[in-house]
Formats: sequence, C-alpha cells, structure tokens
Amino acid sequence: MALLEIRDVSSGYGELQIIWNAALAVEQGQLTALVGSNGAGKTTLLRTIVGQIKPRQGEVWFEGQDVSRLPSYQKAEMGLILVPEGRQLFTEMSVRENMEMGATPRRGRGKMNANMERCFTLFPRLKERATQKAGTLSGGEQQMLAVSRGIMSDPKVLMIDELSLGLAPVLTLDLFQSLRKLRAEGITVLLVEQNVRMALKVSDYTYVLSEGKVEMHGPSREVEQDEAVRASYLGL
Amino acid sequence: MVDTLLASLTDGLLIGVVYGIAAMGLTLIFGVMNVINLAHGPIMALGMFGVYLLFTQFGMNPYLALIPVGFFGLILGIVIYAVAVNRVIDAPHLSSLLATFSVNMIIIGLGTALFTTTFRNVDYSSLGTLTLGPITVPLTRLVSALAALLVTGLLYLFLQRTRLGKYVRAVANNRTSAGLVGIPSTRVLAFSFGLGSALATIAGGLIAISLPFTILSGSTYELKSFVIVVLGGLGNPVGALIGGLVLGLIEGVVPVFMKTTWVPVLEYVLFVLILLVRPQGLLGAKR
Repeated sequence: MALLEIRDVSSGYGELQIIWNAALAVEQGQLTALVGSNGAGKTTLLRTIVGQIKPRQGEVWFEGQDVSRLPSYQKAEMGLILVPEGRQLFTEMSVRENMEMGATPRRGRGKMNANMERCFTLFPRLKERATQKAGTLSGGEQQMLAVSRGIMSDPKVLMIDELSLGLAPVLTLDLFQSLRKLRAEGITVLLVEQNVRMALKVSDYTYVLSEGKVEMHGPSREVEQDEAVRASYLGL
Repeated sequence: MVDTLLASLTDGLLIGVVYGIAAMGLTLIFGVMNVINLAHGPIMALGMFGVYLLFTQFGMNPYLALIPVGFFGLILGIVIYAVAVNRVIDAPHLSSLLATFSVNMIIIGLGTALFTTTFRNVDYSSLGTLTLGPITVPLTRLVSALAALLVTGLLYLFLQRTRLGKYVRAVANNRTSAGLVGIPSTRVLAFSFGLGSALATIAGGLIAISLPFTILSGSTYELKSFVIVVLGGLGNPVGALIGGLVLGLIEGVVPVFMKTTWVPVLEYVLFVLILLVRPQGLLGAKR
C-alpha cells in the first residue's frame, strides 16, 4: 500500500471548485512529481492533503489511516510535512530558530542536532547565516531554509510546493541536486513543480494535473516520452 | 526646584515601569493575534483585588501575592480566549473588539456586585521610605518598579530562550506556517492571551500596592496602556516599556509646573499627536 494516497478528492475555496476527483499515490522511498501549468490546482491539492482546506469529497490516507479531517499540525506530528509555496518562513526569527521550529514534531525533536548537521551539510550557506534573521536571506537561501525546516521534522513524506519558483537557474539546479541527495537518504518526496522538464528529470513517478484533474500519470521516463506532454509542457 | 523635579522624575519613572508591563500585556496579545483586548482594564482590576484579598484576608506579603495573582491571570486569559476570542479570531476587528468589550462589561458587572465601588487600598506603607539625597520615595514604589523590571526580564528570557516562548513568536510571525511545522496554533494563541492577561493582573497588583483603587480603576490604566502602546508602537514589547517610562515621566513632572488635572489632557494630546505624526510609534511597530 502506498505511504500517502489521495482517493477521489474534490476541493476548492467557497463556491469555487478547483480539484475534481483527483487520485494520487506516493510510494515509500520514491520521489513523486506533480506537474502542471499555472492554475492547474497543484497548490490547492497540496493544501487539501495537509489539511489547510477540507476536502468536499474523497479521502486522504496516510500510513493506512484516513487523515482527511485532521488539522495540519497533527499531520505534521505524524510526519506529513509541507514546504509551502513562497517559503512562508518565520521571517522575524533567526535561521537556527526556524530550524528549531521545524523540529516541533516529537519524531524530529530527538534528532534535532543530527538533522541540523544534515541540513548544514546539504546547504553550507545556512550554517554561515545561522544567527541571521530569516527575513534577511536571499531568495535562494530562503528556499534552502524552507526545505531544511521540513527536513528538521524528520518527515515520512516531504511535500515541496514550487521548489524553483523565482530562483535563478543555477540555484534551481543546486536545489534539485539536493533533492536527489534527500531521496538517496530515503526521504519520500512529493514535489510540485511548474518546471516540468526538471521535475521529470529528478523524479521516479509523475502525475500531470490539468484543470483540477489528473490528466495522466506514470513512471517519469514514460511520461517524458509522451507526445502530448512533450507538446504541451516541454515545447517539443 | 531642582530637588522637587528630581523627586518627581524618580516618582514618574518608578510608576512608569509598572505602566510599561501593563502595556506589554496589551501589546503582546495584539502582536500575536491582532486582537485589541478591551477587557485589559478589568483584568488589571482583578489583579488589584487579588493582591488586596490575599493581603487583607490571608496576611500574605503583597509582592509574594503577585505570583498566585499572575497565575490566576494566566488561567483567566486562557478561559477568556477559549470562550470569547477564539471564535472571532479570524473575523474582522470589530468582532473581537465587541467580544472583548463584552468580557469587559461582565467583569465590571460581577466585580461591582461582589466588591462594590468603594475605594480599597493595600496598606503596606510599613515598608517605609528610602531617602537618597533630595529624593525620598516610598520603598513600595521602588520594590514595585524592581518587580516590574524582573517580570520584563523574565518575559524576555521566556520568549527568546524557551521552546514555548519561541512557539509564541512563531505563531505571531506566521500562524499558517506554525501549523505546518506541527505547532498547535490555537493552544498557543490561548496561552498568549493568558500571558498578556497575567501581565495585566501583575501590573494591577503592583499599582494596588501604591495607590487606592476600585473595580472601575482598571479602565483608567487601560487607557494609559493604549497611549503607551501607541507611543511605543503596537505589537512592540520594548516600545511598551519605553512608552511606559515616557508616560510615567509626564505624570511625575507635569504637576511640578501646572495643576495635576492637566496631566490627562497632555497625555491624550500626545496620544493624538503621535497618531497624526508617527502612527507606527516612536520605535516603529512590529508590522
């Protein structure tokens, strides 16, 4: 059974329905990508998974449990962690404090120092800036911190919303490489990306979301070869 | 003249620190949850009565009485948050203003029924006075100011060094993210409201040791807290302390030059001036 499973989920804001009967499964140890153009509903789906929006229909299953109605802090405690779009750091707190806050779930608390070292090895820049306020970091550094804050919780599934948004290409490449390292360390990742090419390159399995519906899914190598995907998302 | 001035200055500064922690309670709650607590004054008054009752009924040292009184404020604040504030936390400001104003009316109503509006005072003048050159101050004033500084220092350490204190700052900074990292925001909000109320009851208790009061006295100090908070910048605890000192100075020094009745006039003229010229406060608000 998949570690995280979305079953027939519909959700949206008020009158506006955005996600239509989406189904998705994230397998243990894999890097799963969720791609699609702007406005396809990727962020809405993540927010539904994490509990910021309650699904109107369907269920979210995590580790064999129905977690559809749990608030996000309880899901974090269970190991289901979202690195939100636009970083959403604690800008008034230091880099180190942001990472400490990441280690709020019990499972991350005991490994706080080890995980912090792990993040500093992955992103040495953060170590240099450990005492600086998070709000004073550059965009790329903020994204590194956002990912690190997620790692600090010792997640079972790390969901990352728009890793590359607003970053220079060189930095994007760096961050994607660190994703590969995380995967090699055994962290299960669900990556949401507008940069479809990159996402297909690093991931094991890909879902394509279009107008709130799962348009297609399959091993990333196969999706990459799909004619429709090549035409719509890769400009080939 | 210089001697009177020095004495008034000292007097003003000493009471100013106490005003400072009252305002800190108000500004802490605003900074964390964007709620202006209109029950702040009555909660202060409950602190006054708390110290009064422990002192007169149980013969407790009024400064030691501040510990149970502060604890009572913490619990009271958590209850007020759960009953009145939580349901309107994301509603427009008017809703939370009305909710806390209702709590204000309930406390004043109950307090008037229980304690009447006769003036009370905690007669702890047995502590004596301290003379230093031209300055003579009642020792209670000095101890009260020191106690207020101690509370400020403890609050600072709590917010900067402890995990729970950091949760309070994290929730204040970004409530959505706090939930995402696993912080139970609602509980932290309730606790923060309790912390702000504890500061109010402690400030009330300290005032009660120096000045006579009734259940209605809280309102006066609530207004002062507003002036202070605007002076220092809404949501800025350090600003609250400095604002408190400024207000204390005005109260101490103005009566040297003109009638005491001018004090509130000047205070509120200052209030309006700050709002007009520097609405973010002297030190700038948190956001």
